[in-house]
Amino acid sequence: MSLPLFFQQVLNGLAIGSVYAMFAIGYTLIFSILRIINFAHAAIFTLGAYFTYALTGSAFGYNGLLKNSALPIHLPFLLAAVVGALLAGVVSIVIERLAFRPLRERGADPLLSLVSSLGVAVVIVNVIQYLVGAENYSYPAHPYGNLPTAINFGLGTRRIPVRTVQIVIFGVAVVIMLLLTYWLNRTKTGKALRAIAEDATTASLLGINTDRLILLTFFLSGMIGGLSGALIGSSVSIAGPYFGISFGLRGLAVIVLGGLGDIPGAIVGGVVLGLAEAFVPAQYIAYKDAVAFAVLFLMLLLRPQGLLGGAQLQKV
Amino acid sequence: MRSMVARLSTLFVIGAWLLMACGSPTPSSTSAATTGGTAALAGDPVPLGVAVAETSNTAALGQEQVIGVTIAEKYFNDHGGINGRPLKIIRQDTAGDENGAINAFNALINQSKVLGIVGPTLSQQAFAADKIADTAKVPVVGPSNTAKGVPQIGPYVARVSAPVSVVAPNAVKAALKQNPQIKKVSVLFAQNDAFSKSETGTFQHVITTTSGLQLLPVQTFQTTDTDFTSQATTVLNQNPDLVIISGLAVDGGNLVKQLRELGYKGLIIGGNGFNTPNIYPVCKAQCDGLLIAQAYSYELNSPVNNDFRKSYQDLQKQEPGQLAAQAFAGVQVFVKAMSAVDKATPLKGLSIEAARTAINDQLLKGKYQTPLGPISFTAEGEVVQNDFYVAQVKMNADGATGKFVLLK
Amino acid sequence: MAVFFATYGSLIVAMMLAAMLALSLYLPLLAGQLSLASPGFYALGGYVAAIISTRVVPFDSATQAYVWRLGAHEILRFPGPLYPVSLLIVEMLVASVLSAVLAVALGLPALRLRGIYLLLATIAFVEILQVVTQVLDLTGGAIGIFNIPQPFASQLGYAWVVVPLLVLSAFFVYRLERIRVGRAFTAIREDELAAAAMGINLTYHKVLAFTMGAVLAGIVGVISAHSINTWNSRQGTFDAGIAYLAFVLIGGSRTFLGPIVGGIVLYALPEVLRGIAAIPGLPPALAQLLKDGRLIIYGLLLVLGTIFFPQGLIRPNLFRRRKFEATRQVPGQV
Repeated sequence: MSLPLFFQQVLNGLAIGSVYAMFAIGYTLIFSILRIINFAHAAIFTLGAYFTYALTGSAFGYNGLLKNSALPIHLPFLLAAVVGALLAGVVSIVIERLAFRPLRERGADPLLSLVSSLGVAVVIVNVIQYLVGAENYSYPAHPYGNLPTAINFGLGTRRIPVRTVQIVIFGVAVVIMLLLTYWLNRTKTGKALRAIAEDATTASLLGINTDRLILLTFFLSGMIGGLSGALIGSSVSIAGPYFGISFGLRGLAVIVLGGLGDIPGAIVGGVVLGLAEAFVPAQYIAYKDAVAFAVLFLMLLLRPQGLLGGAQLQKV
Repeated sequence: MRSMVARLSTLFVIGAWLLMACGSPTPSSTSAATTGGTAALAGDPVPLGVAVAETSNTAALGQEQVIGVTIAEKYFNDHGGINGRPLKIIRQDTAGDENGAINAFNALINQSKVLGIVGPTLSQQAFAADKIADTAKVPVVGPSNTAKGVPQIGPYVARVSAPVSVVAPNAVKAALKQNPQIKKVSVLFAQNDAFSKSETGTFQHVITTTSGLQLLPVQTFQTTDTDFTSQATTVLNQNPDLVIISGLAVDGGNLVKQLRELGYKGLIIGGNGFNTPNIYPVCKAQCDGLLIAQAYSYELNSPVNNDFRKSYQDLQKQEPGQLAAQAFAGVQVFVKAMSAVDKATPLKGLSIEAARTAINDQLLKGKYQTPLGPISFTAEGEVVQNDFYVAQVKMNADGATGKFVLLK
Repeated sequence: MAVFFATYGSLIVAMMLAAMLALSLYLPLLAGQLSLASPGFYALGGYVAAIISTRVVPFDSATQAYVWRLGAHEILRFPGPLYPVSLLIVEMLVASVLSAVLAVALGLPALRLRGIYLLLATIAFVEILQVVTQVLDLTGGAIGIFNIPQPFASQLGYAWVVVPLLVLSAFFVYRLERIRVGRAFTAIREDELAAAAMGINLTYHKVLAFTMGAVLAGIVGVISAHSINTWNSRQGTFDAGIAYLAFVLIGGSRTFLGPIVGGIVLYALPEVLRGIAAIPGLPPALAQLLKDGRLIIYGLLLVLGTIFFPQGLIRPNLFRRRKFEATRQVPGQV
């Protein structure tokens, strides 16, 4: 493999990986605190993308209940994405109240939250279809202003192009990861959350309002998920109500690769998976997905604590 | 132990009762009132089943088909129905899987007592469900099943969706006409999609048998993929003069977009799956110049297509795509066959079994002026279609809307 | 009644198959192993059936018989047109053996993992298998293998195989829970360290439970391939695995009846909703909502089911005298 090609594949891997990482951060946040896998995360991601679409003032198609309706406001994409993310966060809170908290209060098997969150995902996906149809949607052109569509990292005649939107996604993923890590490790609220992650009962005995903090976690996770949906939607358009679901399985792989509940790990896991996919030789491209999961399988056998994890499973 | 048996049997009795309640046949008159424009029609409605993917991640396709059959129901009832009796479409959702298709077919055949079925959406589903209909001797017309072997499932199985063996050479010819210098061709296809898998075989065959063209190593992707950076990089390194993609609207559109953004400048041919205006929002301005192999063109100037196109535009505010047109044609062949049978011996006098068989025989014999152009069937049930097209996408300045310009 | 069975013959068979698939997930869970590998073995079984019945012993339409040839030599001949049940049983045996071999090969390394990590490893296995079958010519690529011959004249005919098989596997698991091996499984589930300390061979028992589940899933795949008449890489996916898990958890993961009831009830639920929507006399708005909102209701019932039946519909003490209400909470596997 020539050096420019190698470099190109590394950049491709980073670009693909950043999408996985972006999806996985919100996913892993809930796991880090509550030790549960929230299947509804993929649906929240989709919701964020649709909320953002609506907020840009774009009209929906003619196949759902909301035929050809559009909001009277036309927010620019970036603002719409932020507001859409907040709305996704609110939905995430509602989900916590309705589908997770009753189980937690009954001290039910954590596996059950897998099923109830799956139920929530089924509901959200089908409600979206009921309201706005199954067709694909995409944001108004040039969501990022006048940035060029691709940036060339090559020299001279050998072009090494990377799509600008993927650089944006990578940047946002890293910033969110840094902010979350700082917040969890350095602020009082963050420390309280980590205490809950260690032992919820003791934490509440110590006067930590666990319920409120868990709601906060769901809000943040939903917000990050919604923002990811909007950003990734701006890269590849919203492929319909199952948009997020198609990232779900990969997202699960990423958070395990990174070490469950490890936030910087989500980025590392995403990038590793992205690189693994990018370096599948062209003649074996048909097996690309198998390669990704084979890497996952080997990783699990060799380092079940994740790429960054120490001997002890890192809880936050 | 005894109480356990008692409890269990109660459970099963309740379950069976529930299912029985569902099993009772629906009187055919319940929603006759809801079919619009049937004021002039009289008599019991003639039931035709439609089983397509209205939910699941295949719903984007099924939704188009629902529009097609809805337009058809209204259109044919406005045009006299089945010799004065209204046509009634009964829909059952197949979702995206084989068992769903089987359940929907069974419900239509046994509960709703339909005289024929248009469906299912996917070829894989057709292999499962069409067998059920064939065994029950209920005629089926596949609106979008293009895989090899579908009409051969049985004598009661036909399809209006042509496998694209004719259109592929035309598309390649059109590309050569625009750029006679084409030598190297990259081919990509969605490996999890039966439609694309069949189509790419035809494209690859055309390239290897056309002198002067060289087929570069083939790349694959999944219809659920969104990132095609790896494939695009390989294509750019192959440095082809032409790229041929067989996929569906969203994945195919994204692939085109990412190829263009990363700097591919040559011609691109999109297969039949691209033949829907739904690709415009995906690749936006980058769709421009894309050549598309079509089994349906909304520009076909025939009375039935003009009416169909008008109705579609009224409903959806955009041009119709291939899936809706084929679903319309699927209903149309049934309406024509039913009318012909009814003329000879009134359907009312026939037993349901006899009516189904008579309709199937008539359906395979007839010739139909559909939005797809004139079509007929072989004895096996394979569609015989004359009109295939190659169109080029012309995007408007806003980068969000565009049109297919027919190439001659 | 005839209408009922004609309409729901396939559904009834599929419900019982779903119950067995739920059992196949329940078996490793009995030993505390959360595995979603069942769809993979299910897919494998289906391919075994599809390949044997369409390629190895294909139908010869000239003589209306299924003929097994090696080269030019005819080895065996079965009169058609119905596919011989004996061959169906052979397929089940082949699928069992292959599933068992693969399960041991996969289980030995993978079962060292616990909880969610094992879950992920088994998902990875399912995904890899899916991609491989999607690419290989042997398995027919995306289109898969079709025209799989029918051993019975009607869909309900499958009940001749499926009912005995369901009863047999239910009885097997029922007995298993009451013999030494089964008690070892339970011991591992409740406390792995303690079980090991008592001299229970962890690896052996875990792999055994895993393999039993795999064999059952493989056998179900064989029947399923014939029953749906076609097989392709869309069968037995991650999504299906999650659905089986829901069958077990909603049905109840503490007794063999749980997964059976869960599989039957949950599998039928969307179809029951479809049927209710067709009941004459419903207000059109309600019928429409039931029809279009079928899956929304299904999702809601999943959520409500977990909240109101956290131990599943069927609890071990449900059918006993209600003297000792279970109050102990189930420890989590994650």
